[in-house]
Amino acid sequence: MVIAKRVPALIRSFRYQSFFIFLVTLSAGFTERQGDLYFVALLILVLKVFIIPVLLNLTAKRINVDEGLGLFVNSQLSLIVALILSYCSWVFSRSLGFGLYHKLLGQTVAFSVLFIGAFLMISRMKAFSQVAGLLVMENGIFLFALSVSGGMPFFVEIAIFLDVFVSVIIMGLFVYRINKLFTHIDVTKLSRLKG
Amino acid sequence: MVNFNLLFDPLSIFFLFVIFIISLPSAVYSLGYLKGEYSQGKVTLAWFLLSAFVLSMVLVVTVSNIFIFLVAWEIMSLVSYFLVVFDTEHEKSIQAGLIYIVMTHIGTAFLIAAFLVMYQYAHSFDFLAIKNACQTMPSQVKNIVFILLLIGFGTKAGIVPLHIWLPYAHPQAPSHISSIMSGVMIKTAIYGLIRFVISILGVNSSWWGILILVLAVISCLVGVIYALMDHDIKRLLAYHSVENIGIILLGVGLSMFFINKGMPYLAVFSLIAGLYHLVNHAVFKGLLFLCAGSVYKATGTRDIEKLGGLIKKMPQTAIYFLIGAMGISALPPLNGFVSEWLTLQAFFLGAFSAIGGSKLFLGVCAGMLALTGGLAAACFVKAFGITFLALPRSRHAEEAKEVSFSMKAGMFFLAVLTIIFGLAAVPIMGLLAKVAGASTGIDIGNMRFSLNNLIINPQVGKNIYLSTPLLALALVASAAAGFSVYLLFARLKPVSYKTWDCGYYKLEARNEYTATAFSKPFRIAFSFFLMPYRKTQKIRDSFYHVKSFAYETHTISVFKKYIYAPLVALVFKSASFMRRIQPGSIHLYLAYIFAALLFLIIFMQKF
Repeated sequence: MVIAKRVPALIRSFRYQSFFIFLVTLSAGFTERQGDLYFVALLILVLKVFIIPVLLNLTAKRINVDEGLGLFVNSQLSLIVALILSYCSWVFSRSLGFGLYHKLLGQTVAFSVLFIGAFLMISRMKAFSQVAGLLVMENGIFLFALSVSGGMPFFVEIAIFLDVFVSVIIMGLFVYRINKLFTHIDVTKLSRLKG
Repeated sequence: MVNFNLLFDPLSIFFLFVIFIISLPSAVYSLGYLKGEYSQGKVTLAWFLLSAFVLSMVLVVTVSNIFIFLVAWEIMSLVSYFLVVFDTEHEKSIQAGLIYIVMTHIGTAFLIAAFLVMYQYAHSFDFLAIKNACQTMPSQVKNIVFILLLIGFGTKAGIVPLHIWLPYAHPQAPSHISSIMSGVMIKTAIYGLIRFVISILGVNSSWWGILILVLAVISCLVGVIYALMDHDIKRLLAYHSVENIGIILLGVGLSMFFINKGMPYLAVFSLIAGLYHLVNHAVFKGLLFLCAGSVYKATGTRDIEKLGGLIKKMPQTAIYFLIGAMGISALPPLNGFVSEWLTLQAFFLGAFSAIGGSKLFLGVCAGMLALTGGLAAACFVKAFGITFLALPRSRHAEEAKEVSFSMKAGMFFLAVLTIIFGLAAVPIMGLLAKVAGASTGIDIGNMRFSLNNLIINPQVGKNIYLSTPLLALALVASAAAGFSVYLLFARLKPVSYKTWDCGYYKLEARNEYTATAFSKPFRIAFSFFLMPYRKTQKIRDSFYHVKSFAYETHTISVFKKYIYAPLVALVFKSASFMRRIQPGSIHLYLAYIFAALLFLIIFMQKF
């Protein structure tokens, strides 16, 4: 995901990530024998694997701009940073000390997804990557909840999904508007708005 | 737990009295003053702010809890800020308001610091609990609290060098508000000093009193010298507030000095002098501001160089102003004379009983006070003479008319009070003795300050007497005698001549003596402090004929140039430096959040 240089590649990698989370949720549903988790997994499949990426692709096509993401940090260096962040998240989750080994691994993955999401937001110029970064961070939070306590209460989960869905729509709209107004979606140039 | 009990001990009641005797005539005065000057909506707003202002001051002097005290203090500051910027269309008002609100908040910050230190020891916001806790407070902590309180209240009182806001804020407010601000609001700071330093904290070291005395003497002199140089009538009065706060603080500081030296009688006596001058200053400064407001309302200008001859157009205002001016210049038998006399006597009695260096110190302070009185008198000769006497210097002054009835009523009330507080000195001293005794915690049962109901006698056994009623009687009698001599021997029929004009043939307003000219000797005498700048420019046809002559002079405010300007520049410099961390880039902001998150997690890791 961090080596993606173009918008479609980023969306594709987000789709893969969401698919893996779907698998993780499904397996958690098997091991913990909870009906809710199956439903949540289904929601992930529908929303994050299909609808949201399609929506993002649509927006990208509609605004019809250059596909490059505009990297502050090039792909190779981004990969190294991602590795460092993963190590950091390993250290952090160990210090959190929830015990059990497989849970520790889950937390590490969750943390690193969270960090990488934030890193994406910081190190890419185009507004798309900020949207994608936020979605990735949301994935990370979901993973963390799953790994610590086997998922949040069902209704909370549903509400969060709704939130994410709506926010994607809103952000898509915003990106569209920004593009219309400024004829670009380069976030670095927004600093000109400052007084 | 915060309690909302109000406190009505003698000190609070005294300040309540001061607040109401000034606010009442000012409110009546504002009836006429606001009419025709502002729109209906603004008049309503002015009344609302006035009530809020008076109410907040009442709260400040009656609450018994430092927490609520701070809240009331802050309300008072904010409401008075809104009153300072009441004329929002003037650029100057906004600037004055800015200086005022910055200074007053710096003061409040110091107060909060002092109160927090007190709370640390008392674990309670209550006055009584804090008073008990202060008994066991270490003396270094007491010193720190004293300094914090002095800076905090000193900003509000306008002690030099914290007086910078006074000459900006007081003139810009509407006149009835100036009169309350200058007459009462700055006195709440004196209340704070007496309440928190003398009554609650307890005077600990002798340098406290000496420090206050030194600051007070400096305030007196600086205030009166700047007042002499200023020709805006309201700004001139504002500088006099600095001077008079100095005189009040002389009494308060002297009292602290004597408390520490273990001389209860003199401590009470000095505090009486200070409190007496406090109420006097409230009365005559309120009166003078109201008169200045009337002049402003009638002529539309506050520059006394453009006034003149108003005594014929506005005779009543002129008389009230004269009474106020005589009061503030400490002329017998009016009230300012009594309180300044008492302060001087306190210095003399102190110098008699003190030993060593403090004898000299008190003597020098007394000398400075005398100098201040003289300069104040000179200043009011200027203010009254240039404003009310001679010929009008501009069309504004020519077209002036006497003000409306409600405005005259407000001024009349205060003018009468000025005379009463002079004549009824003995009973007033008796009342003030109770206040002073209660706030210093000294038993005043066997102290006597007067011979009988007419004559003040500061110390039994010494031949020092003062009786204002008798003085007034003597003055009236000699005036009557003079007048009867005049009636007997002078020609009764007035004959009008032309003024002798040294052969100039035609004298007009342009030939008159100006305020600038009047203050020139003082400008030269105090040139080391005022640093006057003057520029003359002559354009001549020949050696004998000067075609035009331009003269320009102004003085430099030492405090503004050498203390405040560098300070403000420093603040702006550091602010523009800090601004760099906010470049407007979303990525950088996100990075800040991310970095903060990482930092916090690492921080948790380590500790």
